[in-house]
Amino acid sequence: MLEIKALGKRFPVRAGREPPPWIIQDLSFSVGAGELLTMVGPSGAGKSTLLNIIAQIDVASAGEIVFDGERIVSAEQKVLHPGLNRRIGYVTQDDNLLPWRTTIDNVLFPREVQGTLDDAARAQAQELIGAVGLSGFERYYPHELSGGMRKRAALIRTLVYDPPMILMDEPFAAVDAQTRTQLQEDLLRLWSLKRKTILFVTHDITEAIALGDRALVLTRRPARIAAEHPIPIPRPRNVKDIFTMPNFAAIYERIRADVQ
Amino acid sequence: MTSADITSGYSEGRVIPRQWIVTGGRIALAVALLLAWNWGARSLGPLFFAPPFATAQRIVEMAASGQLFTDIYATMRVSVVGFVIGCICGVGLPFILRLSPRATDAVEPFIMASQGIPKYALTPWLILWFGIGDAPKEIVVTLFVFYIVFITVSAGIRGVDQRIVNMARILGASERTIARKVIWIALLPFFFTGLKVALPRAVSAAIVGEFLVAVEGVGFSIERARQLSDTTGVFAGIVVAVTLVLIINAAVNALERHALKWRPVDRDMQL
Repeated sequence: MLEIKALGKRFPVRAGREPPPWIIQDLSFSVGAGELLTMVGPSGAGKSTLLNIIAQIDVASAGEIVFDGERIVSAEQKVLHPGLNRRIGYVTQDDNLLPWRTTIDNVLFPREVQGTLDDAARAQAQELIGAVGLSGFERYYPHELSGGMRKRAALIRTLVYDPPMILMDEPFAAVDAQTRTQLQEDLLRLWSLKRKTILFVTHDITEAIALGDRALVLTRRPARIAAEHPIPIPRPRNVKDIFTMPNFAAIYERIRADVQ
Repeated sequence: MTSADITSGYSEGRVIPRQWIVTGGRIALAVALLLAWNWGARSLGPLFFAPPFATAQRIVEMAASGQLFTDIYATMRVSVVGFVIGCICGVGLPFILRLSPRATDAVEPFIMASQGIPKYALTPWLILWFGIGDAPKEIVVTLFVFYIVFITVSAGIRGVDQRIVNMARILGASERTIARKVIWIALLPFFFTGLKVALPRAVSAAIVGEFLVAVEGVGFSIERARQLSDTTGVFAGIVVAVTLVLIINAAVNALERHALKWRPVDRDMQL
């Protein structure tokens, strides 16, 4: 579904200075259709930069990206298509909700700006709001919601317009452990219903194991693939008790050894 | 001071609601100002200081003759026309410049330099061009309003969270939709701050314009009273002008409260 080929990124060269270092260099991997791929890497490894390039809000300096057989990113590219015409959704680290819109209006924002806001969209939004436990908070502004609730609102805002692929950048990093487990379970349930292709970036190894079909480990800057680990834990998974699975400890140890 | 001291001010022991204290304080201040005004009039004489009662009487007389409303209408006509044009340009130009950072860099120094032109000094020249009707005054008002709105809206556009703009792009919003549904709403607090500065300026610019050229209007009535050494008339005109500004401000504040009701706390100054 998504193929990253020899991708590289560095900030623009400035005259009279040393050439800037590569943030991402010669990075290649692919994500299969319907796969939930997790990606673990140390802080500052260029994970967010990678997702920004895939989502096309940042440019690549080398290499290319192929989506559904179509080359969507290359180093020569002049014009960006953020979100690739609604085919790539992006759940960022910050919820980036519009502070002047209530939960329901934030969730419906994509449908509204895409001109597809109808009763079916409203019903679907209501259903998603119910599915993540936000019922009763439809008319609340983001600042009146807890951090976990805002994450849920941001997540279903992307689901409501049904992009075939979703990028997730440590979406649950800033919430407490209990809420995080709940959010992870919400995500897995929604994913099992819709079978989106998801690229999920995290620095939490447990999260990478609990969610992923496969986990990639990134090196320190410049980011490259250090290792790839299949996660042979059967689904549906119980996120709360994931560490009691017989092979959890072994997988965890192997990944931890690869994360520098 | 311990935390107990801080909280005690808000405890149930306090009987007088905060709003009463504020209102009481305002009334006391108003009475004190009136008394000082009255004292000034007594000690300096009515030529230098018109007494408050005579001023009030004059305003009632002006209202009875209908002159007051003719004047207010004339001044408001100039203020509103100039204000609306100034606002449209002051909001529209930053949005156009947003499309091209290079054009912004090229144009901005000229706009800032032109701000240095003494606007009232333009009036005689504008009269030469546009005659003694409303047009020269409206242009002066427009200029006052334009710079204030332009600068606050430009600052607002720069202050918009780029992450939210990028998110809106990814969610499929066109640049026009982003301008309308993201940037415009996000800069409303700036815009209202600009309005609060610009509106009183618009009225006072119209009044000063009327000093220079007019056949009616609040400024005209002040200028005519001055020429007749009618201090009471001057004071009456000033009181009318201040009242106009107060009413306009109250309207803007109400509009702002409505437009920004999503905000967590009311962080804006209420002038």
